[in-house]
Amino acid sequence: MAEQRTASGPIGARIRRTEDPRLLAGQARYLDDIRLPGMLEGAVLRSPYPHARILRIDVSRARELPGVFDVITGAEVRELAAPQPVIWQQIPDQRMPESYALPTDRVRYVGEAVVAVAAVDRYVAEDALELIDIEYEPLPVAATLDEALAEDAPRLYDQWPDNKMGQHTFTRGNVDEAFTQADVVLRETLYYGRQMGLPLETRGCIASWDTYTNQLDLWLSTQGAHVNRDLMGEALRKPVHEIRVRVPDVGGGFGNKLDFYIEEVLASLMSRRTGRPVKIIEDRVESFVANAHSREQRMEVELAATSDGVITGIRGTVWAVLGGRLSGAACGPPWLSAAVMAGPYKVPNVDVSVVGVFTNRSPIGSYRGWGQPEATLVYERLVELLARKLGLDRNEVRRKNFPAPEEFPFPSTVFTYDSGRYAECLDLCLSGVEKNGWKERQAAARAEGRSVGIGYGFHVECTAFGPSRVLNAVGVQHSGFGQSVVRIDSTGRVTVYTGEVPMGQGIQTALAQVCAQSLGVPIEDVTVIAGDTDSCPYMGYGTGGSRAAALGGGAIIRAAEKLKKQIRDIGAHLLETAPEDLVIENGRVAVSGAPARSVSMAEIGNAAYRSVGKLPAGQTPTLEEREVMDPEDLAWAYGCTAVLVEVDRETGAVKVLDHLIAHDCGTVINPMIVEGQIHGGVAQSIGGALLEELVYGEDGQIQTTTFMDYLVPTATDMPPMQALHMETPAVHIPGGIKGVGEAGTIAVPAAIANAVDDALDDLDVTVTAIPITPPRLLAKIRAAQEQQS
Amino acid sequence: MKPASVEYHKATSIADAVDVLSSTEDEDAKVLAGGQSLVPMLSMRLARPSVLVDINGLTDLDYIRRDGDWLSIGALTRSRAVEKSAAVRDAAPLLSEAMGFVGHATIRNRGTIGGSVAHADPAAEAPAVLCALDAELVITGPAGARTVGANDFFHGFLTTAVGPDEMLTEIRVPVLPAGTGCAVEELARRHGDFAMVAVFAAVTVGDDGRCTDARLALAGTNPTPVRAREAEAVLVGSGLTAETIAQAAQAAAGVTNSANDIHAPAEYRRDMASVLTRRALRRAASDANVVV
Amino acid sequence: MASKVTVTVTVNGRTLSAECEPRRTLADFLRQTLGFTGVHLGCEHGVCGACTIVFNGATARSCCMLAVQADGAEITTVHGLADGETLHPMQEAFWDNHGLQCGFCTPGMLLRACELVEEFPDPTEEQIREGISGNICRCTGYQFIVDAIRDGAQRMRQTS
Repeated sequence: MAEQRTASGPIGARIRRTEDPRLLAGQARYLDDIRLPGMLEGAVLRSPYPHARILRIDVSRARELPGVFDVITGAEVRELAAPQPVIWQQIPDQRMPESYALPTDRVRYVGEAVVAVAAVDRYVAEDALELIDIEYEPLPVAATLDEALAEDAPRLYDQWPDNKMGQHTFTRGNVDEAFTQADVVLRETLYYGRQMGLPLETRGCIASWDTYTNQLDLWLSTQGAHVNRDLMGEALRKPVHEIRVRVPDVGGGFGNKLDFYIEEVLASLMSRRTGRPVKIIEDRVESFVANAHSREQRMEVELAATSDGVITGIRGTVWAVLGGRLSGAACGPPWLSAAVMAGPYKVPNVDVSVVGVFTNRSPIGSYRGWGQPEATLVYERLVELLARKLGLDRNEVRRKNFPAPEEFPFPSTVFTYDSGRYAECLDLCLSGVEKNGWKERQAAARAEGRSVGIGYGFHVECTAFGPSRVLNAVGVQHSGFGQSVVRIDSTGRVTVYTGEVPMGQGIQTALAQVCAQSLGVPIEDVTVIAGDTDSCPYMGYGTGGSRAAALGGGAIIRAAEKLKKQIRDIGAHLLETAPEDLVIENGRVAVSGAPARSVSMAEIGNAAYRSVGKLPAGQTPTLEEREVMDPEDLAWAYGCTAVLVEVDRETGAVKVLDHLIAHDCGTVINPMIVEGQIHGGVAQSIGGALLEELVYGEDGQIQTTTFMDYLVPTATDMPPMQALHMETPAVHIPGGIKGVGEAGTIAVPAAIANAVDDALDDLDVTVTAIPITPPRLLAKIRAAQEQQS
Repeated sequence: MKPASVEYHKATSIADAVDVLSSTEDEDAKVLAGGQSLVPMLSMRLARPSVLVDINGLTDLDYIRRDGDWLSIGALTRSRAVEKSAAVRDAAPLLSEAMGFVGHATIRNRGTIGGSVAHADPAAEAPAVLCALDAELVITGPAGARTVGANDFFHGFLTTAVGPDEMLTEIRVPVLPAGTGCAVEELARRHGDFAMVAVFAAVTVGDDGRCTDARLALAGTNPTPVRAREAEAVLVGSGLTAETIAQAAQAAAGVTNSANDIHAPAEYRRDMASVLTRRALRRAASDANVVV
Repeated sequence: MASKVTVTVTVNGRTLSAECEPRRTLADFLRQTLGFTGVHLGCEHGVCGACTIVFNGATARSCCMLAVQADGAEITTVHGLADGETLHPMQEAFWDNHGLQCGFCTPGMLLRACELVEEFPDPTEEQIREGISGNICRCTGYQFIVDAIRDGAQRMRQTS
């Protein structure tokens, strides 16, 4: 492995996770494992129509069913709650439909919630749903992007003249001139299918509203405890000190548990009305309509370049296929696609627009990668197509357009990349491909008549999301800072309280490693507490955008520095020496060069809390520091993915044979966790590239609402994976930590598309749509074969 | 996703099960065997029987027996047992191979061959392979047992010859003659999924190298599993050559009749029927020691 | 409403009895009625494998069975793997190899892995991948699970 260094302390150590034993033993506590006394279970009746007026709702029979405690409709919600907040408002003048947790007059997608029920258990709640009578008047449907954009399109919102939600253009230089003067111009329309995060644990909540104290206790399977508390306060018109959010073990997030949803509001209202705790957990079928969808975009793009492969301009439009209403993330991911369309390349002239379009589909929201896999599909396809057109080596074209390490901080179209050694990363990937003998494997396979190809994808990844002022500047109506509290107790043990939320990514272990290293204590002495708004410090946004290690860890590093000063002061007093002479290592405070003269952290803790008389004069008892991490700017990770694929020309089936990524996420805290994050991201994007698609029929009905129809990868669909690490420190984050949560996800679809083209190079096939399903690819192959013959 | 209210009857004998099946008013009793399809349908409330007749206690329906030229399999025999059975491998290797494609190991542990056949999903392996093997299916009802050939058993999508007061009790498979080569070719989006297209091929080759018998059944291409009779006719009496196999493959595509769905348009399935038939026949020929 | 039935099962060696409606799934019965919350529900339609248990000696999906069908059965859940505070060798291998992230698929994955190793004491990568293909993991990409099962198999060979 490149640049593998021997970890001298906990940071960089390949240690197993502290989270795991209870998860392995079946002792985890996920949301559905929590049962409160008297708790009711809810269920939600959802629209069977993609677009319809609600003429009448009759819930009387449901209310009468024994075991039913509450049935709530849109009219009742309107009396008790405010519209659902939308924090992503980055498109100037974006249209903001006012939508409540339940509609009163109209539904705009199949699966939109219409009525909710709370009953003694989920069985009875579902029985009650069958007794609710709703009269709908079906309306014409805008099921697709083109239907929604058509001149005579059925309008989803009567108050606006068309279905556009908003439009924004990113410009730089003089793009028209660039295209006029270009030696070559490439034009492509690329389509990225609708997909979603789909954690194995579906999303759920428990709300317990004490109407005497007005205290609302919430347990949410969420990625953002504090942001959800704030937004819940907004939605319920309730001061947030009356709301506590706790996050139990979370069975995967992937962005699907980042946005603010409606079921949490409904559970709260029904708890208030019944005086009972109410649990609502979406079942798997609901999860396909009630959770944010993502990715679906049509990208019409053009690239201008010189004949020797220097990119001079990019222009185009990202058509974002939004749903029937706005999620909390609104048009955010497609906006980011447009903003990072130049990728890792120096593109002096840019004119890229994003247009959000309402359709009668489920709302678009967050999913790991968040617009970046889509953008990467564009720039990494275009760069290979450019090389193909010019007869140049594709990676030489990449190299030619990279900013050099000394050009950092590198100002791209919208964002400034903090640090990077892109060409070295490309070289590392290429050397891995060579070492693993892919070219020989390809040649051997081709000799047997098999179609094997190699594809690359170089990506940049927005991490350490995010600096509050950057977020506010681009229109996010929320802060993004991180915060951690580090406390040494009376026995010298350390507790970290973080605002970041664990969801299976191993953040407790990673943060414990950072803390242990920063303080000089054994990792066993560090406990990390997370996921509770009452005990953990406020954090902006939620744990998304590859941020927890950087912002949570950065805050810990700074807090630890401050704590160490206090420890040294106390230690110096106890050892009758000067603070500057002390080193803190392995839980002991010792005189530098004279390790026998030392005190333990336990003695320090004892002095700070119990034997306070031992403290130096003026030293306040207790040992605790709180640090806000609101960096000046983002951290930009990057990587180069390579895949080896085989195409069956007779069936159009694609098999990924091998995978490799060279990547740089700054300081690697735990290589094993970093690799795990990458592997999981790769799986989701191999699924995204080949298997996963949320399909709507012409009638606007969703056709993929089970695991039989929406195909996530299984073990037999996955190749072996390898990650090669580079470490270029982040500029704005203490410890140089960048993020890695999305690294595996972003470039794989582009790399697979490139590899499929390579496997079929004799046919000059160009993959333009993701996922690459067998029928789609076979049609391309057949068309190319016909053209040749 | 919780089942609607339902009565439960644990059958104590075949007669007892049939008795309950024939006594419900709306003929909406359902036999519960392995439950791998039925229980999810109950949970989605797509199936709403008033009573479930659980036959899992009828261990006398759980057997694999060789009776001379016939292999008899009790309807309650788990798919895993069929897959692993030496008797099945010996008498009907095509069936062994096909069972390996049914779902995943844990599903096969519990799912029964009878349940799969009676459920009659047109993309499932068990119904199609039994058509290929010219199996006979024993149906027991109030009037006793009757036998229906596999190729007459499947009436349409999820519908069979089994009446509302009857149940499938036994599957009888004629033992394949010596000199028979077998192969299953399946195209599924993922390993273990229902087939987009699957082809089950058995070819018998005489001493002169000519094909004396050919069976080709397709799953996933029609509302029921289907035999590609024209393709079989191309082969019988001929040598198994690249040309005859290509002809047969083309003929196989002719029997397909599927609708477009999310996984594939109809013409894709038709084309794949041809591709997979060719691949299956080549492997089957090789299995019968014919070099194509 | 159908009348309630009494179901008696032996779970991880302990015999327990409770009433439920015939429609209650075995998964819900184990989780809610008997408190074995390590049985997870990821899809409730027999695809994801998170609810996998060992039922009378073979793995089964508890979402595809009714509780009433389990009357008299012997069941092992993930809770039955560890020996007190000592993890099962397969659990240790998952821990050492980072074979889990969120942990939601893990109980089913572990039980299936142990069954797989009974059949193939020294499994190949292909046998492992095919063997766990009925258990969906959305976090790990399976590589470290495959490594863990190979390692766990070796540990199980050594301890048996």
